[in-house]
Amino acid sequence: MEKDIVGSSIHIFLLSQNRLLLEALTRILRKRAEFEVVQAAPYSSETLSIIAESGCEVLLIDSSVTELYGFQLIQDVVDAIPGLKVLMIGMDEDETVFLRAISCGAAGFVLKDASAMDVVAAIRTITRDEAICPPRLCLSLFRYVASTRTSLPNVRVKSQLGLTRRQQQLVPLIAQGLTNKEIASQLNLSEQTVKNHVHRMLQKVGADDRLSVVEMVKVNQIFL
Amino acid sequence: MIRHVRVLVANRPRLIRELILATIADQPDIEVVGEVKNEADLLPTVEEQRPDFLIVALDSPESRPPVCDILLSKFPDMKILAVAPEHNSSVFYWASIDIHSFDVEASEEGLLGVLRGPGRRAGGYQ
Repeated sequence: MEKDIVGSSIHIFLLSQNRLLLEALTRILRKRAEFEVVQAAPYSSETLSIIAESGCEVLLIDSSVTELYGFQLIQDVVDAIPGLKVLMIGMDEDETVFLRAISCGAAGFVLKDASAMDVVAAIRTITRDEAICPPRLCLSLFRYVASTRTSLPNVRVKSQLGLTRRQQQLVPLIAQGLTNKEIASQLNLSEQTVKNHVHRMLQKVGADDRLSVVEMVKVNQIFL
Repeated sequence: MIRHVRVLVANRPRLIRELILATIADQPDIEVVGEVKNEADLLPTVEEQRPDFLIVALDSPESRPPVCDILLSKFPDMKILAVAPEHNSSVFYWASIDIHSFDVEASEEGLLGVLRGPGRRAGGYQ
């Protein structure tokens, strides 16, 4: 593979509380011209600014850091440094750790029973704007998304659109094209009450007409 | 000619084992005589290779890995280095009448220092 090495190498920041891991990973990555390890260090209160100033494109972080200092750092670096990719090395196949890491913005996750070559491949993958994780943890992610979807209408619609339960109840009826009078008789309410509910719903979600409310709820349901 | 230190690398997990292997592979005076991936293969491999050093995982920094007692009673000349996979902790074990130990800095320098250390000379450790 011919490659223009100068200026095209991937700049990597290694963050771990395990000195041997930092030193040995640096040793392996430095043997490859495509990688440049800009710094290998344990966590400190200055870590976020040091990473930002390092000009790295990839942050390789292991669970020894998140165990002691939490996952917020991942979110902080991803928010603070546009384009930065975070690859996490997890100790065990722990789906909570995995889901927390990716919910904070990690693009890749490998386990310590991976090979050194797997780590190298994972770095390449995330810099190509792809995500990577062990297949079994990928299943955890699928299951998590599936579970979020089923609990969605109540939780999400309410939190995102701010609709009350009664107002949510109106949505499918409006979607069927029922009039206020028809909805009122179905729910044993007065027509004026339904009218008030619809009026408040329009205000809450900022919709121009009643069918727009239905559309907005639908969109919210599709996107988690 | 200086005799190479012969090391058998048997620690877990795989990434840590491979990182240690990569570190040792770069040292001209240290020879890797084998890599043990499953604990079941450990005893037969030690018997076959008779390494100077065995590197294993240190699962709990407070307690000696049970494998040390078995192996050091059977192979009293061998020395064992246990490296914690997650934290900065490693311990060096060797036997003379009893099993002795001391903490080693969990770094390349600490690890290589033990492999090259006075353990190569008879009765080097106090």
